[in-house]
Amino acid sequence: MRLELRWSDVDEVTAAPATRLVGTRLEVDLAELRELLSADSRLARIRLELARPGERCRIGRVFDVIAPRAKAEGGEDFPGVLGKVARAGHGRTSALDGVAVVATDQQTDNVGTLAVIDMAGPNAALSAFGRTHNLVIAAWPSPSTERSDYLAAVRLAALKTAVHLARTAREADPDRVDVFALSPSPRVPPELAHLPRVAYVFQIHSHQRPTGLDEGILYGDPVRRMLPTIVHPNEVLDGAVLRGFMGRSVTTWAIQNHPMIRALYAQHARTLWFAGVVVTVAQATEPERVRSAFLTAGLVAHTLGADGAVLTKIGGGAPHVDMAQAAAQCEALGVKTTAVVEDMSTDGSAEGMLLFDFPGVDALVNVGSSQEPITLPAMDRVIGADDLASKLLGETRATYGGLCGAIEQVGATRVMAEVR
Amino acid sequence: MAAETLRVVCYLNQFFGQLGGEDKAGVGPQVVDGAIGAARAVQQALGDAGTVVATVICGDNYAAEQAERATAELVALVAAARPDLLVAGPAFLAGRYGVACGALCAAAQAELKIPTVTGMHAENPGVELYRRQVYVVQTGAEATRMLPEVQRLVALGLKLARGEAIGAPAAHGYFARGVTRNIVAGANAADRAVAMLLDKLAGRAFTTEVPRPAFPPVAAPRLVKTLAGATIALVTDGGLVPRGNPDGIEALNATRYGAYSIEGKSSLDAAQYDNPHRGYDTTWVKQDPHRLVPVDVARELEQSGAIGKLHETVYSTVGVATTLAQSARMGREIAEKLRAAGVDAVILTST
Repeated sequence: MRLELRWSDVDEVTAAPATRLVGTRLEVDLAELRELLSADSRLARIRLELARPGERCRIGRVFDVIAPRAKAEGGEDFPGVLGKVARAGHGRTSALDGVAVVATDQQTDNVGTLAVIDMAGPNAALSAFGRTHNLVIAAWPSPSTERSDYLAAVRLAALKTAVHLARTAREADPDRVDVFALSPSPRVPPELAHLPRVAYVFQIHSHQRPTGLDEGILYGDPVRRMLPTIVHPNEVLDGAVLRGFMGRSVTTWAIQNHPMIRALYAQHARTLWFAGVVVTVAQATEPERVRSAFLTAGLVAHTLGADGAVLTKIGGGAPHVDMAQAAAQCEALGVKTTAVVEDMSTDGSAEGMLLFDFPGVDALVNVGSSQEPITLPAMDRVIGADDLASKLLGETRATYGGLCGAIEQVGATRVMAEVR
Repeated sequence: MAAETLRVVCYLNQFFGQLGGEDKAGVGPQVVDGAIGAARAVQQALGDAGTVVATVICGDNYAAEQAERATAELVALVAAARPDLLVAGPAFLAGRYGVACGALCAAAQAELKIPTVTGMHAENPGVELYRRQVYVVQTGAEATRMLPEVQRLVALGLKLARGEAIGAPAAHGYFARGVTRNIVAGANAADRAVAMLLDKLAGRAFTTEVPRPAFPPVAAPRLVKTLAGATIALVTDGGLVPRGNPDGIEALNATRYGAYSIEGKSSLDAAQYDNPHRGYDTTWVKQDPHRLVPVDVARELEQSGAIGKLHETVYSTVGVATTLAQSARMGREIAEKLRAAGVDAVILTST
């Protein structure tokens, strides 16, 4: 399967009478876009705002971040959620570099759990979204809309926006083209047969919280009964996997630009052979966890024939242990593993970093502590959370977990916890 | 160099503060201008780098018996001297003194936002209590070599006060704090994970970024009675609480647990219970609390004589993102209460 990501660089986004890409300037007709999004009867009111890097602006109540992408040839946009259910990961996809669509959740009221993005100051450098031009969507639910439907509507609005923006690049000559081509995993050329075969085990959801009916995660499926399964890495890069609504330290943006898949592609046919991706769900009960763990290990070892596997998790403590159990089952079948964990300590003590101790699961990378406090400096304006501006405008305390994009559990970020 | 001189406050107990011995252990917090007693060694170690502007003194018994009050009063005295650095002790092997030093340092750091340093012998109980929060320099058991010990405290204290990077515990002679600090690595986590895997696959040395946990092993004791003669208690970390959550057990990172009577109940009425646990999907245990705390079946076993007696109190907390320290404390307290009540065995349901 072959996917082309055709990148157009954007270094300026402005409100304008028409939506188009002019060189590296993206012009957006905000009224037209608002009209497009208002068609969803679950949303009563929509506000669109722009924030640029370096501006002393704080975006509040961040729910998810979407990378602007539009299919140019072969396939659907965000299949199963926005577009029809169809295979993703092949053909050509237009992508804007330097732009992000930020969806906010206007029903989150607890300032302590809010996710924010700082466009300036020291925290801007910690998050990919402090360096992108952001189109921020604030939408309020219509009176009869329940919570899960509201979140589904907000996410859909962000996906529509992402496609709407990226379509401006479909006719443009791309600045860069990334080609992702991976032949079926058993077909290794003899001269590369010595390379270790490496699989990626991608936990895409945690059943700590039940998914809503419209909470499409894998090709629109809310993965309520999903068992471990194999997908092509290109499917992940091309919109087949979206983050669920429990947004702890992972964004859809990071999945669309999946750092582990990109890292494995970068080494593919050089130092390793990328054997494939197994997607899993963190289970809620012990029998389900055990079943999922050995099925995962079976796919990795017996079907993909992998010598090694990297694993990531999504969510909190139960997914952390679920991932480790899968890693332990891989090790038991002779597959070497490394896993990406968060520092799970809630009091900053090294003894609480890890919630498991399984044989062989001894090579761990960490994405830092989401609980560690961080200072948010004063800003000049707050968007996405106007009613909380008095609390979010001045210098305030938050945690790394509350800074959207500082910690991405799929491994996109450089923050790590060091033991002292 | 005409650098600004650092203002240093010292904390001493009644003995090192030259108020007297055990007979003066009850005296409350007081302050003396400049350095007296052991604080003179601190001034000597500081040389030109700083001035001991005040010495705060408190009796060991006062500090131990009214700990919260003593700490609050001492923090106020320290604050009044506007120090840039607090040097407490060293307390050597003196337990009450060591604990008081640790408590004051922790409180001064938190409330006054000033760096602090103290010193103790490895077996001083203050080390285990405070090394995670406070830089505790390792000293001998007794004050036989006061100046060299104090010099090491002061050296570390000066680095802290100047905002200099603190190296590994061994380099400065402080007890490992076992704390984690977020830093920015040179590569993203995905690239580091792939590199580590390639090393592991090739049999090369690699360094994990997370140490394996050193949970102390707890051996399950043997039940010395028959089940038919035993009193069995139900304990859970799955978050069962009476409706209204009367103990205010936190939804995560819990510091509280509840003791709930099941006296006279042959089963649990779902309408009377709730569950604040935020670590798992509580839909099913809210629908039927027996899925978490099986009072119904336990009563049947009690009736049939399979177990001797069901303990009439259920203990419950929320086990998600709970610190190891809080878990250990709550477990210890619950176990003590169960043992005092004559309970022989526990069914612990976790989620």
